Amino acid sequence: MYDAVDIEDRGKPTVSLVNTGFANDAESASRAKGIPVLRVLPTAVPCESSIMGDIEAGVDGVMADIIAALTKPLTAEEKSPRPAQPEKPARIIFKGNLEEVNRFFYRRGWTDGLPIIPPTEAAVAEMLAGTDLPPDHLLGKLQSRDGKATIEKIAVNAVMAGCLPTYLPVLIAGTINLLESEPGFLGYTTFGFSTGSWAPFWIINGPVRNQINLNSGSGAFSPGNIANAAIGRAMGLIIKNIGGVRKGIEDMGVMGNPMKYTMVIAENEEESPWEPLHVEMGFKKEDSTIRLSFPQTYLQHWPYGSDAGRILVSVVDSMPRGMRYNIVLTPAHARNLAREGYSKEKVKQYIVENKTMPAASLRAQASGGLAFARVNVDSLPKEGVVPVISDSRFINVIVGGGPGAFIAQLVGGGATPGKKEIQKIDLPKNWDKLVAKYKNVVPTYAKY
Amino acid sequence: MADCVYEVLSPWAEADPVAPRGINPRPDGLEGKRIGLLRNSKRAAEPSLQVVEARLRERYPTATFSWFANLKPNETAIAQGLKDEFEAWLKGVDAVINSYGD
Repeated sequence: MYDAVDIEDRGKPTVSLVNTGFANDAESASRAKGIPVLRVLPTAVPCESSIMGDIEAGVDGVMADIIAALTKPLTAEEKSPRPAQPEKPARIIFKGNLEEVNRFFYRRGWTDGLPIIPPTEAAVAEMLAGTDLPPDHLLGKLQSRDGKATIEKIAVNAVMAGCLPTYLPVLIAGTINLLESEPGFLGYTTFGFSTGSWAPFWIINGPVRNQINLNSGSGAFSPGNIANAAIGRAMGLIIKNIGGVRKGIEDMGVMGNPMKYTMVIAENEEESPWEPLHVEMGFKKEDSTIRLSFPQTYLQHWPYGSDAGRILVSVVDSMPRGMRYNIVLTPAHARNLAREGYSKEKVKQYIVENKTMPAASLRAQASGGLAFARVNVDSLPKEGVVPVISDSRFINVIVGGGPGAFIAQLVGGGATPGKKEIQKIDLPKNWDKLVAKYKNVVPTYAKY
Repeated sequence: MADCVYEVLSPWAEADPVAPRGINPRPDGLEGKRIGLLRNSKRAAEPSLQVVEARLRERYPTATFSWFANLKPNETAIAQGLKDEFEAWLKGVDAVINSYGD
């Protein structure tokens, strides 16, 4: 829709054709860019259809409307739309018991569907102990509505998600990651809202991992650890309530993605034979960082053996097509690979060299308009297989998970190599005291 | 349910209001007009506009058509460095039909 706004801004009349299911999205986009009266025609052309009969029927159904949209004189409102009433959100927004607060927030569309912790003044003040920045400090404006990402708003959403104050520095760094994400196809602009249902995947490195009890071991991706659960949840609420990304309006994910509830892991640096992710990316080992990518898919697979050869063949065999790849190897597998001379980079190179697909399949994908195929169809061989990953920097290898043999892959989207994807976590002056206060918030299971 | 009462803060961020702008006057008719057809990378965008062009050609034989393709998803033509090309194309048309393919 933004091209249509640019066209009107350059003095030319436009009409935009969208599928009926995208009418709200189109309206939101045109309003956000200052032309709420943009002429948009919802059509019955099926989304991304390749069936000409359906396309013709959909277009024919609106041909008279297209002509009218290009020729019908403007209404007074279209000539000079009334300014929207400026939002004056009250800081204290509601008063009620636990159930009433939850119903109020849910009905406003401010939750992820699960109950929230009421963000009272006292709870938010406690959360703010996690930073030296003042509550009104503005980190930036988060798309899609350019909501003001102040420290207080981050803290409010953190309380709602059940975060401890020690997570606030992680959330601030995560929000900076979103704000500084590259514009366009390979950044938050796409992966935050797109039909592909990409989910933010947060990898945390450095000393903060253990200080806030992030799980990098057994069942790291499963529920049950407050840090892994609440940090991802809070980032989802920040995207929803600060970015204004609403499901079915701005977030047009076709299938949706359960990883959007939370997808957070710490790398198991202690049991890894390799340099940790953040050191690979230029940070010091003693730094703490949060790294963002946007997979669509989480899969697990069993290796064909525990030796390097059979681990790597199974990784390649199980790998789905994507743009960016995260491989999570257990400490045992990582050690076996290292013993056989594999560094992280050598693992990535192996995958680049061996991940192939039939040339005919790649040709079919490219001819079907798959945007990220970016393939010169004419250069493909007629038969045989072709490599599908052109750069080892599209692959990320970390160590995590518990005892056992399974391997995890998170495949989808992420930044252009060299663009923003990782942010250092800045800790407050009172960090050690804060860690001491909350360090013992861990589950202790009763024996039975 | 305990009846402890909570006063709660809003999680919804403030946003600066965007001053709304109007749209441009329309031509009286499409006879003899130069129609721009702008498509994105989605699969249905190009064939949709092909149908639009065919139908308009039948109805307005004197109209002419000029295409522009923005094939980079979620990035405006201007943002991806095509400003000069895009603006030059726009100068050559009287009105534009955009198809987004979904």
